[in-house]
Amino acid sequence: MTNKANNVESSEHISITKTLLLTLPMMFFTFMMLSAGKIPAEPNKIIALTITFIFANTIFFLMLYKEKTDKYRAILFITYAICFVISFISNLMEIRGSMAISQENLLLCKTPFCHIVIPMTIIPLALSKTIIFPGTMVGAFASIASMLVLWIGASLALGRGFCGWGCFFGGLDDGFSRIFKRPIIKHINPKWHYLPFAVLLATALTSAMLLNPTYCEWLCPYKTVTEYVEVTTTKIFIQTIIFVSLFLALVVILPILTKKRTQCGLFCPFGAFQSFTNKINPFEIRINQEACIKCKRCIQICPAFSMTEETLKDGKARFTCIKCGKCVDNCPKGALLFHVKGTSLTGSAATFRLLFLYPAFLFLVTMAGSNIQDTILRIMRLITTGSMILR
Amino acid sequence: MGRLKSFFGYTTAALAFFVILATFLGLNFFSSKLVSATGIKVSPRFTGGEVIKTIYHNAYKTMIHRPVFDGLIGERKTGFIQINWEPLNDWPEVIEETIDYTGDNVEDFFIKIETKTGNTIITSKNPQVVGIEKTYVLKSGCAVRILLKKQ
Repeated sequence: MTNKANNVESSEHISITKTLLLTLPMMFFTFMMLSAGKIPAEPNKIIALTITFIFANTIFFLMLYKEKTDKYRAILFITYAICFVISFISNLMEIRGSMAISQENLLLCKTPFCHIVIPMTIIPLALSKTIIFPGTMVGAFASIASMLVLWIGASLALGRGFCGWGCFFGGLDDGFSRIFKRPIIKHINPKWHYLPFAVLLATALTSAMLLNPTYCEWLCPYKTVTEYVEVTTTKIFIQTIIFVSLFLALVVILPILTKKRTQCGLFCPFGAFQSFTNKINPFEIRINQEACIKCKRCIQICPAFSMTEETLKDGKARFTCIKCGKCVDNCPKGALLFHVKGTSLTGSAATFRLLFLYPAFLFLVTMAGSNIQDTILRIMRLITTGSMILR
Repeated sequence: MGRLKSFFGYTTAALAFFVILATFLGLNFFSSKLVSATGIKVSPRFTGGEVIKTIYHNAYKTMIHRPVFDGLIGERKTGFIQINWEPLNDWPEVIEETIDYTGDNVEDFFIKIETKTGNTIITSKNPQVVGIEKTYVLKSGCAVRILLKKQ
């Protein structure tokens, strides 16, 4: 039986009752994760929890019922990124009154740790057992150890699916890449696909040499919407110009023009590093070559440059695949499928997809949940008091 | 063999859900275990290194960190030493102090720091002491990093 036949068969048989039954476990686990096992006492927190819970589970229900992965993933993923930015900046304004990290906070190692730093810390960690980042090891918001644990868990379960389902920055360029219906820049030279690996190599080596996370210091565009070092010297001023320019170019303008996640696919060293975890992960995107008509629609729409002419020949996505499911959703012949490594391609595509969706969606909801709830609370505060920030 | 691979594939795929669940539910436990089991810590280039000596004065205390020469492998030729001052009672506007960080009862440098502005003057009495890297005026006290060079 071909995959197309599998898809057709499943779409014919999926009913609301069956979808509800499949959604029930997710409802239970998302409630546990969103509420941390207890219902909050304050009414506004109950409202925020309820809205987030209904929103997330409606998305999951539609994902199963409509059999579209990326279409619904993107709604939650982009919401997550927007809420993360709102929540993060608002918290910073409350705690320190500014988005700028003061020299004092750097000295006292009070900087929240971000997963993008991980590839730069590997060499010094291996050789000196120290982390080259001014953060806190345990017990603080976004502590180094907790981010490392999250990264290890996500890498084992999802591989580079982390970038499609868990990265709190990825939703920004994902969102901008969906603004236009058609791309204005249609062709990007495939040589650029190697750029993130060059950035990874360069930043990992320079960070090890200088014992300083050079990507964070000089290049990370997301500092524009989170936090940055306060401008006190000419060097920091130049760094600021660089990362703001990179943000505008790679996260806003190029995704709009190309309909691709250009920061994630052409620059991010973490994305390049995370690609290798796809090798130790049970899920992959495969192409059923019997059903494929080589229309190259998947190459056109893949946001992470993971589908190429070679991948069509190989029958599977490049190892840089973020498992967003866009190619699976849009293949006119249903030739692409989520697949579990080691199993036969003729197995049930619906089962493969479900096996992937449960961990991926739970990861997304848990990562997104606190940010969405916090943003809802801030919006309620804005309506009632005129300010999102608690002073 | 095919059946075994298939069984292994489905098992690991099903386990992925429990890995995610365990990651979140055991986040604090695994984080603490990761640190205690591996002994990883933040680089002293950021923390300033361990405090090796605390001197109590009437109005404030002086905390002398260990000299940091830590490199990727072994030690580097250049490094720094961090000194922190924290108020105990009345926080003086100017602190003047001679520091012996080597513990040989010989003064290594004299430092004068204006605690409100961070203006700092240093007089080296040890050829290892090169000059001031940076002065930090903190909410509670102040700190100075002094450049060192191995002889």
